[in-house]
Amino acid sequence: MTNLNLKVTSGQMLAVIGNSGCGRTTLLDIITCKDEGGKIKSGQILINGKLTTKQIVKKSVAHVLQDDQLLPHLTVRETLLFIAKLRLPRSYSEQQRQKRVEDVIAELRLRQCANTRVGNAYTRGVSGGERRRVSIAVQLLWNPGILILDEPTSGLDSFTAHNLVITLSRLARGNRLVLLSIHQPRSDIFQLFDLVLLLSSGATTYSGTAKDMVQYFSSIGYPCPRYSNPADFYVDLTSVNYRTKEEETETLERTGSLAETFREKVKDFDDFLWKVNDGNRELPPGETRANVHTTPLEKGIKIDANEVDELPKGLHQFAVLLNRHVSNDFRDLSTLLIHGIEAVLMALLIGFLYYGQGENQLSIQDTIALLFMKGSLTPFAVVLDVVAKCHSERAMLFHELEDGLYSITPYFFAKVIGELPEHIAFVVFYSVPIYWLANLNPGVDNFFLNFLLMWLVVYCSRSMALWMSALLPTLQISSFMSNAIYTASYLTGGFIIRLDTLWAVPYWISFVSFLRWGFAGLMQVQFIDLTYQVQVGNFSINIPGKQIIQNLESDTYPLYASYLVLIGISAGFLVLYYLSLRFIKQKSSQEW
Amino acid sequence: MFNGSDAFYYSSCSSLCERVGPWWDMQSYYNKWTRQILRDVSFYMKSGQIMAILGNSGSGKTTLLDAISGRIGHKGTLLGEVYVNGSQLKKEQFQDCFSYVLQHDNLLPYLTVRETLTYTAMLALQKHSKEAIRKKVDSVMAELSLTHVADTVIGGRIFNGISSGERRRVSIAAQLIQDPKIILLDEPTTGLDSMTANHIVLLLSQLARKDRIVIISIHQPRSELFKIFDRIAIMSCGELIFCGNPQEMISFFDDCGYECPEHSNPFDFFVDLTSVDTRTKEREVETYSRVHAIVGAYRDCEQFQSTLEYIDSSKKSKEQQKIPFKRRETPSEICKLVVLFRRIVRNLSRNKIGIFMRLSQNLVFGLFIVLFLIRLNNDVLKGAVQDRIGVIYQCLGGASYTGLLNAVALFPALRAISDQESKDGLYQKWQMLLAYIIHILPFSILSIVIFGAVMYWTVGLNPEITRFGCFLAAILVPHLMGELLTLAVLGIVNNPTIVNAGVALLTIAGILVGSGVLRSLQEMPQVFQFISYVTYQRYSCELLVVNEFYDLQFTCGGENITNANVQCLFTNGNDFIENSYPGATSRITFDFLMLYAFVPAMIIGCIISFKIRDILVHR
Repeated sequence: MTNLNLKVTSGQMLAVIGNSGCGRTTLLDIITCKDEGGKIKSGQILINGKLTTKQIVKKSVAHVLQDDQLLPHLTVRETLLFIAKLRLPRSYSEQQRQKRVEDVIAELRLRQCANTRVGNAYTRGVSGGERRRVSIAVQLLWNPGILILDEPTSGLDSFTAHNLVITLSRLARGNRLVLLSIHQPRSDIFQLFDLVLLLSSGATTYSGTAKDMVQYFSSIGYPCPRYSNPADFYVDLTSVNYRTKEEETETLERTGSLAETFREKVKDFDDFLWKVNDGNRELPPGETRANVHTTPLEKGIKIDANEVDELPKGLHQFAVLLNRHVSNDFRDLSTLLIHGIEAVLMALLIGFLYYGQGENQLSIQDTIALLFMKGSLTPFAVVLDVVAKCHSERAMLFHELEDGLYSITPYFFAKVIGELPEHIAFVVFYSVPIYWLANLNPGVDNFFLNFLLMWLVVYCSRSMALWMSALLPTLQISSFMSNAIYTASYLTGGFIIRLDTLWAVPYWISFVSFLRWGFAGLMQVQFIDLTYQVQVGNFSINIPGKQIIQNLESDTYPLYASYLVLIGISAGFLVLYYLSLRFIKQKSSQEW
Repeated sequence: MFNGSDAFYYSSCSSLCERVGPWWDMQSYYNKWTRQILRDVSFYMKSGQIMAILGNSGSGKTTLLDAISGRIGHKGTLLGEVYVNGSQLKKEQFQDCFSYVLQHDNLLPYLTVRETLTYTAMLALQKHSKEAIRKKVDSVMAELSLTHVADTVIGGRIFNGISSGERRRVSIAAQLIQDPKIILLDEPTTGLDSMTANHIVLLLSQLARKDRIVIISIHQPRSELFKIFDRIAIMSCGELIFCGNPQEMISFFDDCGYECPEHSNPFDFFVDLTSVDTRTKEREVETYSRVHAIVGAYRDCEQFQSTLEYIDSSKKSKEQQKIPFKRRETPSEICKLVVLFRRIVRNLSRNKIGIFMRLSQNLVFGLFIVLFLIRLNNDVLKGAVQDRIGVIYQCLGGASYTGLLNAVALFPALRAISDQESKDGLYQKWQMLLAYIIHILPFSILSIVIFGAVMYWTVGLNPEITRFGCFLAAILVPHLMGELLTLAVLGIVNNPTIVNAGVALLTIAGILVGSGVLRSLQEMPQVFQFISYVTYQRYSCELLVVNEFYDLQFTCGGENITNANVQCLFTNGNDFIENSYPGATSRITFDFLMLYAFVPAMIIGCIISFKIRDILVHR
C-alpha cells in the first residue's frame, strides 16, 4: 500500500471499494491495529489529532469481521443479551439493556429469527444472511465511535443490504464514523456513501465524495456509460486483469497512470479529497514519493473515559460468561445425549464385564485390571471431547478478546467453573455403576474415597486437554499432543509396564503421570481393609489386602499423597492453561 | 438433433418442518410448523434460452430449483409436475435429465483440471474410446476457457491451485461432460468477485445458445447482465411475481406504475419493489399489499395467459417427442470402480502430507513403546510377563487407533464428493467407498511393516523371523479394522469429531471384552464370553500371545529356575498360555482364518452403512 492520505470527519461514512486483492482488508487491519496485514513502514494514523494506540482503538473502534464467530446453541436474542451485559456500561438497568437489544434486533430486521438458534455448519440455525446481521448487531450494541465493517453486505440479499447501509449511514449521522469495505456496491447503496476511497493494488485511484466520482473520472477522460452502475464501472476500470499477460500489463499501466493522475490532482488539498472545480491549479514540482501511508482520521469522536470505566468489570464479566457458557452447553441436546449415552454404555459394559455381585466375586488379578481400566478409560473419553469443543470456540474467543469484550481472567474462571456441572455428571455416570456392579469395596468411606479419586483423575485429564487446546493452534496437533501426553501417562501408570523396570526418563515421567497416582490411590482404597481368599489346589489361603498392595508396590506413598499429587497436577495444568490463554494468541486455523 | 421446447408446470406446495424452542420446553420443541414455500409457480422455456431466478433470501429460489430437479426428497412434499418435450417426467428420470451445479465446489484438491474432467468423463461415458474422451474433455475445457489451466492442480485450503472462478467453472465443466440439455445452477456467482461473476454468466449464456436450457438462481446480478438473460423470473414469498424477457419485464412494471429510474440497476430495483419489508407492521402490510397487487397484475397480463395456454397445448399435443436425456452410456460397475480407484490413487499420490501421515503414524506409536520400555527382559520378577502383555495390548490398541485417525482425517472430504456425484447419478456411494478401501490396503501393509520392523527388534520380542511375520500378520488386521470401523460409522454419522470419540471407545470396548488381557476370558460372565467371539481383538490377541510366549523360558530372581518361589507363577511361556488362553496353541490356524474373515465382513458392513446413507442423505 503506497501513498494513501485520507481524512475523515465524524458523521461521515467512508466506503473503501476495489476488486479483490486491492488492499481493502489490509487497510482496515492497519487502522484497527491488527498486525496481520503487515506493519506500517512509514506513516501514521491519528484519531482526534492523537496518534492511535491499541487502547484508544479498543475504546472507540468496533470491527465487524467478515466471518461470523458466534456460539451456535444460543438464540439470537440470548446472544445479544449476553453481549449487552458485557458491553453496555454498568449504569444501564436491566430494562434498558433489554430495550437496547430489542432496538438493535428491530434495526437489523432480526425479529423473525430472534428466538431461533444461531447454529453453525453442523447444527441448523438461522440463515447465513441472518447470522451476518447478528454479527453486526453484536457490534452495534455498544454504540462505538468508529464502526469498521469488513464486507458487511456480502451474503445479504439486496434489500437487506440496502437497509443495512441505510442504517449505517444513519448511525454515521449521529456523530459517528463508519468505515466499510465492499467489493461490489449496488448503485442504490453507492449513492448512500458520503466518501469513497477507490483502491487498486494498494494505490488510491480516487478518494472523495461519492457523488463527485463520476464527474472526476469524466474529467480525466473516462465517462461512465448511462444505465450502468458507476461503482461497478470504475472498479472494473481500475482492477488488474490477470487473465493473460498482455491484459495484465495493459491494465497495470492504466491503473498506475490513474493513481498518478489522482495524486497530482489532490496534493494541494489538506484533506486529500478531490473536490469539484479545482481543475486548474498550479502544481508544485514533484515531491519525493516515498512509501508514505498516512491516514489522519480527525474527528470529534467521544472517547468518553467515564463511560469506559463504567463497563462491567471482573466479577460481573465472570457471571455473565458463566451464564452464557452454561446456557450454550445446556441447550445442545444432541451433544449432551451423545456424551451421556457414551458414559452410561461404557460404564455398563465395564460393570457387567467385571460383574462381581453375589457368588462370583472378582479375583485379585481382575480387580486390579478393573481399577486400572476404570482410572484410565474415563479420562480418555474426556480428553477427546474437551479438545474438540475448545477448538470450536477458539475463533470466537480470539475475536472477543481482541475486541476487549472481556479479559482473560474472567473467561478462565467462567470456563473452568462452567465445565464443572458437566464434569461431575460425567464422573457420576461413569464411575458409580461400575463400582456397584463390580461390587468393589463395600465400605461407605471407600466408596467416597474412590469417587473422589476418580473425580480428580478425570479432572487432571480435563485440565490437560484445556491446556493443550489453548497452547496449540490446530485441532489435529492439539488432539495428537494430548493423546501423546495421555499415552505417556498411561504407559507409566504402573499397570502396563512395571514401574520398577522403567529406566530413568520414564521413571521420572511416572511422577507426573496422573494415571499412576490415580491407580495407586484406587488400589489402596480398594484393598486396604479386605482379605481375599485364594484357592490353591485344595487349600484356600487368606491373603490380606495389604500384602497385595505391597506386592504391586502401590503403597510406596501414603494414600493422602495420591490426593495431594493429583490436586497439584490438575492445578499445574490449570495454571499452564491460564498462561497459554494469556500469552498465546488464540487464533484458530481449523481444517476439518 | 434435439430441438424442442420444454415446459415446466407447477402448482406446487412444498413444505418444510422446523423445530422451535429449546429442548426442555417440550411443548414448543415438538410443535413443528410447516410452511408452504412455493405457491402456484408455472413457467416454460425453450431450448437455447437462459433464465435467471431472482429474489431475496427466503423467497424460494433454491427450493424452486430443487423442485425442478426432483431433489426435494424427504424434506418436504411437492405437488407439481415437470414436463420435458411434452411428456411428464417420472421420479427416476429427473436425475438423467437435469444437471445440477451446487453452490459449493466439491473437487479433489490434488488433481489437475484435465484429470478431474477426464475421470468424470470416464465415469459417465465409459464406452467411448480414450481418444473420444480426450476430445470431449478438450472441447469442454475450450468451451469454458479452462485450457490455460488444464494442467494445474485444483488446490484446496492448505495450498494454492486455480482461482475460485476457475474452480466454479471446473464444476460446471464436470456437468457439461455429460451433455445435459438442461443445466440448473444454484447461485453460481456467489463468492466470486464481480468480474469473474460476469464472466461466468456470459459463459453460461453462450452455453445456452448451443441448444441448451440454462436456469440459474442469482443474487445481485449486475446491470450489464440485464440484456443477457432471455428470461427473468422474480420470486417473492414463494410466488412467481413475474416471468418473461427483459423488455417485457420493464414494460410490465411500467404498466403497473413502477418505472425503473434511469441510473439504477433494474434487477435491484424490481427485486426491492417486490420484497416484503418485515421491520414494522405497517411497512409489512404496505409492502405485502404491493406485492399482492403486482402478482394480481401478472396473473391478468398477456404473458401469463400465454404461458398457461402454451403449457396446456403442449400437454395435450399428441405427438410425443423424446425426452432429451443426458449422454449416459453407463459403464459396468466394475469399470466405475476401476476409474474411481485410479482417481483416488492419483489424488493421494500428490498429497505428500497424507502419505507421510499414513506411513508414519504407526511408527510414532511404536516409538512411544520403545521409549518407555527400551528392552524386555526374561525375569518374571522384573516384569517379563507383565511387560510383554503390555506391549501386546499397546500394539493392538495403537494400530486400531491410527487406522481411526487416518480415516477421520482423509475420508470426510471424499465422502462429500461421493454424496454429490452419486446424486448426479455418476456412481453409487459404496463404489467410492470400495475404491477407497482398496487403495488403503498397500499403505496399511507398508505402515505396519515399518512399525513392526522398528518396534519388534528394538524392544526384543521373540527373535524368530517367522514369528516376526506372524506378528505383522496379526497386527495388520486391527489396523485395517480400525479404519474400516470408522468408515462404517462415518457412513451414518456426519460429524467426524463425534465419530472419532465414538469409534475410539468402541475399539477399547472390543479390547476389554475380547483380548483377555484385562479380564480373564474364562471368568467373564457368559454373555461376554459369547460377545468376545465376535471381536477381532480376541483372535488377534490370542495369536500375538501364542506367537510371543510359546516356548519362551523365564528366569525367576536369579539364575536358578528350580528354586522358584511363590511369586513366580510361570517358569515358561507355555504355562502362561495354558493358564490364560487354554488350548490356544492348537488354534493358530483357526484364529488366523477367523481374524482375516473380519476384513471382508467389515467391508460388507461398510457397504451396508453407505446404503443406509443413501436413504438418509436423500434430500
